[in-house]
Amino acid sequence: MDLRGKPVRKMVEAVSSKEVSAYQLIEKTLENCALVNEALNIFSVIAGVDALEQARAIDKRLEVGENLPLAGIPVAVKDDIFYGVLPTGLGSAAFKEFIPPYTATAVERLMDAGAIVIGKTNIGDMGLGSSTVSSPNGPTVNPWDAGYAAGSAGAAAVITGLCMLALESDTGGALRQGASHCGVAGLRPGMGRVSRYGLNADSSSFAQVGVTALSGDDILCALEVISGPDGRDASLAAEDKWAAGGRVAPDLQSESLTIGYPAAAFDLPEPEIREVYEKARERYQAGGYRLTEIDLGLLPEALRAYYVICLAETSSNHARFDGIRFGRAAEAGDLEELYAKSRRLTLGPEARRRSIFGTYILGKGHYDRYYRQALKIWNLVRREFNRVLKECDLLMLPVVKAAPVRLDEEANFLENWGADLFTAPVSMAGLPAISLPAGQVGKMPVGLQLVGRPFSEKLLTAVCDRLAPENKLFPHRGPS
Amino acid sequence: MEDIKAGLEKAVRVMKIEVEAGEQEKLSAELDQFLQWLKPMLDLETEGADQVLVAHDRISVVRKDEARQADQAELQEAAPDFAGGFYQVPPIIE
Amino acid sequence: MEYEVIIGLEVHVELHTESKLFCSCPNRFVQEPNINTCPVCLGFPGAMPQMNEEAVEQALKASLALNCEIALTSYFDRKNYFYPDMPKGYQISQYFVPIGSRGSLLIEDDLGSEKQVRIGRVHMEEDAGKLVHSISGEGSMVDYNRAGVPLVEIVTEPNLRSPGESRRYLEQLKSILQYAGVSDCKMEEGSLRCDANISLRPAGTETFGSKTELKNMNSFKAVEKSLEYEIDRQKKILDSGQEVISQTLRWEEDRQETIMMRGKLEAHDYRCFTDPELAPIKLGAEKVEEARAALPEMADAKAARYGRDYGLPPYDAGVLTASRALADYFEACLAIYDNPKVVSNWVMGELTACLNEEGQEIETCAFGPEKMAELLKMIEEQVISGKIAKEVLVKSFRGGKTPRQVVEEEGLLQISDHGELEAVVEKVLAENPDSVEKYRAGATKVIGFLVGQVMKETKGKANPQLVNELLVKKIDG
Repeated sequence: MDLRGKPVRKMVEAVSSKEVSAYQLIEKTLENCALVNEALNIFSVIAGVDALEQARAIDKRLEVGENLPLAGIPVAVKDDIFYGVLPTGLGSAAFKEFIPPYTATAVERLMDAGAIVIGKTNIGDMGLGSSTVSSPNGPTVNPWDAGYAAGSAGAAAVITGLCMLALESDTGGALRQGASHCGVAGLRPGMGRVSRYGLNADSSSFAQVGVTALSGDDILCALEVISGPDGRDASLAAEDKWAAGGRVAPDLQSESLTIGYPAAAFDLPEPEIREVYEKARERYQAGGYRLTEIDLGLLPEALRAYYVICLAETSSNHARFDGIRFGRAAEAGDLEELYAKSRRLTLGPEARRRSIFGTYILGKGHYDRYYRQALKIWNLVRREFNRVLKECDLLMLPVVKAAPVRLDEEANFLENWGADLFTAPVSMAGLPAISLPAGQVGKMPVGLQLVGRPFSEKLLTAVCDRLAPENKLFPHRGPS
Repeated sequence: MEDIKAGLEKAVRVMKIEVEAGEQEKLSAELDQFLQWLKPMLDLETEGADQVLVAHDRISVVRKDEARQADQAELQEAAPDFAGGFYQVPPIIE
Repeated sequence: MEYEVIIGLEVHVELHTESKLFCSCPNRFVQEPNINTCPVCLGFPGAMPQMNEEAVEQALKASLALNCEIALTSYFDRKNYFYPDMPKGYQISQYFVPIGSRGSLLIEDDLGSEKQVRIGRVHMEEDAGKLVHSISGEGSMVDYNRAGVPLVEIVTEPNLRSPGESRRYLEQLKSILQYAGVSDCKMEEGSLRCDANISLRPAGTETFGSKTELKNMNSFKAVEKSLEYEIDRQKKILDSGQEVISQTLRWEEDRQETIMMRGKLEAHDYRCFTDPELAPIKLGAEKVEEARAALPEMADAKAARYGRDYGLPPYDAGVLTASRALADYFEACLAIYDNPKVVSNWVMGELTACLNEEGQEIETCAFGPEKMAELLKMIEEQVISGKIAKEVLVKSFRGGKTPRQVVEEEGLLQISDHGELEAVVEKVLAENPDSVEKYRAGATKVIGFLVGQVMKETKGKANPQLVNELLVKKIDG
């Protein structure tokens, strides 16, 4: 059974009408996973027995007449999102066998709706960075070209047909960049849409839980399930704010949408990528969309402010990894040794760098200089995006500047951070954004980012399906 | 650079992470790079812009005061060293 | 040399809520370790804090009761430091904007005149867990039951001037917070904790001397004692021309002295920043005014009213309002049996004696205000005598039965039957001819003795007034 190209809604119909059982579907999916995983290193763990049990339970629920909007749909969950049955590795050597005592809200909701968790996808050191190169399990290989990193393992799982939905986190842009590098669609919801309870966030201000899939509509299927108030995440508005318009507020689907276009942002160093974006723009215009040039000059400063805030929060969020209540404890004769060694066991080189820099930034004298300024810039970034989105319905931005990291080269840390130039500022603005396939450079896909107003996720998924190329391409390395 | 070196040393100490000598030097150089990289941000005019303190500052969510007991055993299983009802740590002299 | 003493107090008070500040774990004092924990208060990754509405209400009440200005928007901040009792590696507190600031509280100074103690801030924060050290010294152990319990920290300006003032401030603070209903303020159970900062400066000078911080005082008395000790210690140092070292000292109750706990007060760098996981606390001006209006009557106002409306002497009014629980008991009793002086006497006398003897608290004892009212009514209706009533109170208090049940089951009804009493009276008169003689000779006081004899014969059940009447009638007759 090849999942590639099958829409989620069609598959749900097939499973619900017992054309195929959830069990059969998952059994086949797991076989594929085992096959592909060896070459691409997508999963840190494949669910196996547990996934089959979940599938059996779904078939039973269907048997008794339950209506399950995601019946049988295989979902891959990023390894920084808690699922209380499988080990949640957090991208740390100290958490390889850690089975969390609770499950993330989004995972719970997907499973309630009939989806089946087939495995946990590989992540970088403590889930940091927009590629998996710093993973203690080694990087996930890009399905289009084995010389490159996948960006995100969830996107690699989707494009190779190992799952139909990937639940992923996006802080500075990992989800969107991963979607771009693998040629799939990836939605980062806006602030207040999806509960982050159960996500090991490095930055609580910017981390969101989103969905990667083959199409906007597939994403919408998942989003309708995972959206909505959750008393366990204070960033979600209380119930009454959701009453109007349902969980995913409907948006106008006008044929004459205006897309804002910041010309300066598309002036990229690599001519091939520039060309992909130019062609995409021409296609959109030909398709009836109005493009209007807007000015968005704050991106480079926004990126810097983003890193200041993000690192500060990481230093604090990661302080809980002390080897006392969870994780691994090092042999130690005294408390200081316990801390120093256990924390080293837990935090890899990238995590250590970020915690230490973050602590420096929050330290006496530095807070005022760096942190306070970054908080003010945060405000300017919000204002700028709000202003721009008054002039247009959607905002168009690149997702990436260049191809993903080559696996045989070690990039400088600042170069890696710089890859978030077009994604991190959007995270700061708290707005929803979708990354959709725009074209290819050689074998490698390139995505484009659409940013919408608050709670415009449904519109984004709809526009994504209208703008993305009709005939989906799949990499060579899929299940046969 | 000396200031940065000292600052980094302090940050390592405060963060309580064991760092090898070579790594510390590398981090020190990287911190310097990072701070250089931040410079344009410091020069940005932010007069009149309030600090954003919380991303979701426009709402206020509270929980009803109701008590519920969680499964303790499940939580304690995650601990590297839990014995006799307590989380164990090396001796601390107060 | 003469010195001026400068004291500032930092008081932590546990709020009286059902659940913890940021999770639903029970907020209850228990012996068994690690039974009230969950992913949130153990600091598991991804387990986000969920703010307790009631804790905010109570912090608001506490701030208002202490005459604070209220911040309509306040935030929670993270105070970052590592310690095993602090699960997340940071404490969630209000560092930048406290919910209450610039408050005050009135006490008597050492000369008996009124003094306003200035309160710098009242802020909310979460409590830490507890460290227990094994006797063998092999290791330490952590109990996280208390981690995440809601606290308010109340910090005075350095404007207390003596150990006595400090003690009176604490007493007054406890009374106010108890009355406001936000905490039981039990220092023995740790629901109120106090640290003191103290320094000395030559009388008449302005600059502060270097201060020391005192910890580990387990009672108000201990706070007073430790401050006295510390004043003496600092005086001696200064008199000898040396300088006081700024440090943290620990009060040793057994030895009645302070010992060094931590060297030179290290300027901690807590790297505070606003907690990105919590929404701000937003209080409408209207809500604040409502809460202010709803504040219960405090001890001083209550005592004044008891004097004014019930005609109670200042002493009684003072005793009855010493704790809110006592005042509540008194008022509940009065609502059923409207005789303030009688209720006051019984509450202050017999009931208090019983509580002390049995080591019980008024709010939880089996002899509730409705029982007290029932008892007093029975005296008034001459169903039982006052003497029997005392016995009934003790029995009801211990056994949990109502006073009426006790009286009925034990046959303690007062004898007011003429016929029955006449026989006893005659018997007593016959047995005490001397007394009868004395009475007739004009020593009428002897009637008291005779009444006593009748009461003795009837085991206290006789109606004493009736006995008196019968005796006089018989002798005179």
